[in-house]
Amino acid sequence: MPSLFAISVGAGFDDAGGGRIAALADVSVTFRPGQLSAIVGPSGSGKSTLLHALAGIVVPQQGRIGFGELDFRTLNERQRDRWRLAHCGMVFQDFRLIDELDALSNTLLPAQFTRLRLPADLRARAHQLLESFELSARAGPVARLSRGEQQRVALARALLLDPPILLADEPTASLDAGNGLRIAAALQTQARQGKIVIAVTHDDKLSVLADQLLSMKSGRLITTDGASP
Amino acid sequence: MNPWPFIRAALARYRFSALAFVLLVAAGVTLSVAIVSQERALRTGSARAADKFDLIVAPPGSRTDALLAGVYLRPGSSQLLAPAFSAALLNDTRASFVSPLAFGDSHRGMPVVGVTAALVDHLSAGDPAGAGERGNLAEGRGFVTRGEAVVGSASRLKVGERFHPAHGVHHKGDTHAGDDALDAHEAQLTVVGRMRPTGSPWDRAVLVPVEFVWETHRLSGGHAPGSTRLGPPFDAAHVPGIPAAVVRTANLAEAYKLRRAFTGLESMAFFPAEALLQLYALLGDVRQLMNLLSIVTQALVLLSIIASVFILFRLLMPQFVTLRALGAPRRYVFAIAWGFTAVLIGLGVLLGMAGGYALSFGISSWLAHLTGVSLQPRLGQSEVLLAVGFLVIGLMLAALPAWRLQRLPLARALKDY
Repeated sequence: MPSLFAISVGAGFDDAGGGRIAALADVSVTFRPGQLSAIVGPSGSGKSTLLHALAGIVVPQQGRIGFGELDFRTLNERQRDRWRLAHCGMVFQDFRLIDELDALSNTLLPAQFTRLRLPADLRARAHQLLESFELSARAGPVARLSRGEQQRVALARALLLDPPILLADEPTASLDAGNGLRIAAALQTQARQGKIVIAVTHDDKLSVLADQLLSMKSGRLITTDGASP
Repeated sequence: MNPWPFIRAALARYRFSALAFVLLVAAGVTLSVAIVSQERALRTGSARAADKFDLIVAPPGSRTDALLAGVYLRPGSSQLLAPAFSAALLNDTRASFVSPLAFGDSHRGMPVVGVTAALVDHLSAGDPAGAGERGNLAEGRGFVTRGEAVVGSASRLKVGERFHPAHGVHHKGDTHAGDDALDAHEAQLTVVGRMRPTGSPWDRAVLVPVEFVWETHRLSGGHAPGSTRLGPPFDAAHVPGIPAAVVRTANLAEAYKLRRAFTGLESMAFFPAEALLQLYALLGDVRQLMNLLSIVTQALVLLSIIASVFILFRLLMPQFVTLRALGAPRRYVFAIAWGFTAVLIGLGVLLGMAGGYALSFGISSWLAHLTGVSLQPRLGQSEVLLAVGFLVIGLMLAALPAWRLQRLPLARALKDY
């Protein structure tokens, strides 16, 4: 399976005052299949921006991001959306579930983007994922679930289409120690199964499990541990 | 793509706002549909009620007043045709029949009208197959003596029942506004027959020989003193002035001839349709004004809903951003946003159609109770077109917030929401 990489990536945002904030500067890194990578660093260091750039959400002004032979610069927004849906599972700090829907409907959500009717195998996979995370498919709206359960639903949603890449933004930040450990272990398991797993985190429970630890400051990658960039 | 799960979730989250939007749309559509449907029901109902009155002859004045008195039994003017003219009119042999209309009495709020037996038979004629021994009546027989009466189909009086008519006409439907006991004539009437439904105020009337009305009001009885005869020919020397008469002719050409003959200094003759057309023109103007008001209302409703949806979508922004981050294409976000508004407008229009029909039905029932004119509202092409037009414009406007929402720059929105 191909690797996900960034080469000399630079990106910035316009600020409210009309100036420009440099979010990423000369970032080069490679993420390989079967590896759990953790990106650490203080707030505002560019961790989330790098994650979004790797997902094709943020378009770098310099450098390039690619997946195997694919160069993101050749993709327009619609193609990047399609690539992200097919290749990336996303997990967020605040879960970002649809509160009114149950666990199964939330899990199946990415499949609804392109399909009017869901194939039986996708439904079966959703049930299987929820079972593997010890969740009930029809236990009412997810808003009634505990935070740990909600994050597991979010993980099931990210894995529904069996993407080769899993991107997690502070996946354990709003969980207690036990649930945080559980999610960290689940991410490690996904990496062991051959996926590229990248997590932005402040959580030691997660970073100690990482095969590759990346440290960022002021938009720059300052250290890497465990793999060559 | 299937945006429905998200639309369902958004509707559930903002169910009270959604309900308010649906009710707002429904109110606008209800108003428009009811106006159009009711105006049509009024036209057809009033035309049907006047259908059996070929020609009305009345003292010169307002045709509308004469129409209201003759067809809808709401006498206003106290003017009478001159006795000599009345006698000539009632005895005119060119007509199939001429019946006087003598108002002035009532019983429990129901008008007691002096007529000839021919008019009773004519008004009650509906189903020719049903005509037999009873003539055209639904029950009993026609009056043959001065103390007998035939009641309309909706009268509470039963065949065989006796009553004293009261002086004065009270326009409160079944609720008698006067006091029958104080105003009652000495003379008694016996109900001998019941007419078939006519869909007009005559369904609540009590029809008596005109000679009875004249005599109880101490007028000449239409015939030589002591005569027990009813109906034409009348004795010209003993015919008092009458407020109006209904003329039935064999054909239209004859009706036009008589209309010309009875129009002059002493009287006016007109087809009810002529007066109705004037009323309809007025009704049409009122309808246009009401329509304009309802269209303005609908436009305001739509604009307020679209503006509110813009605000609602800001509250839903984190969810929309999440969908985009997960890989949902812009058109999926558009479909959700448009679908959400479309569902509200669609439900509102459907509810409004039902509400409009219900309102029209309610108004018709109330008017029928008030006037006796049977109104049968229905949903016609105009109302459907109106509702479809509202729906189409609503669906087009719903694209505005959806279009704006799908344009959001994802990278920025992920930071903001």
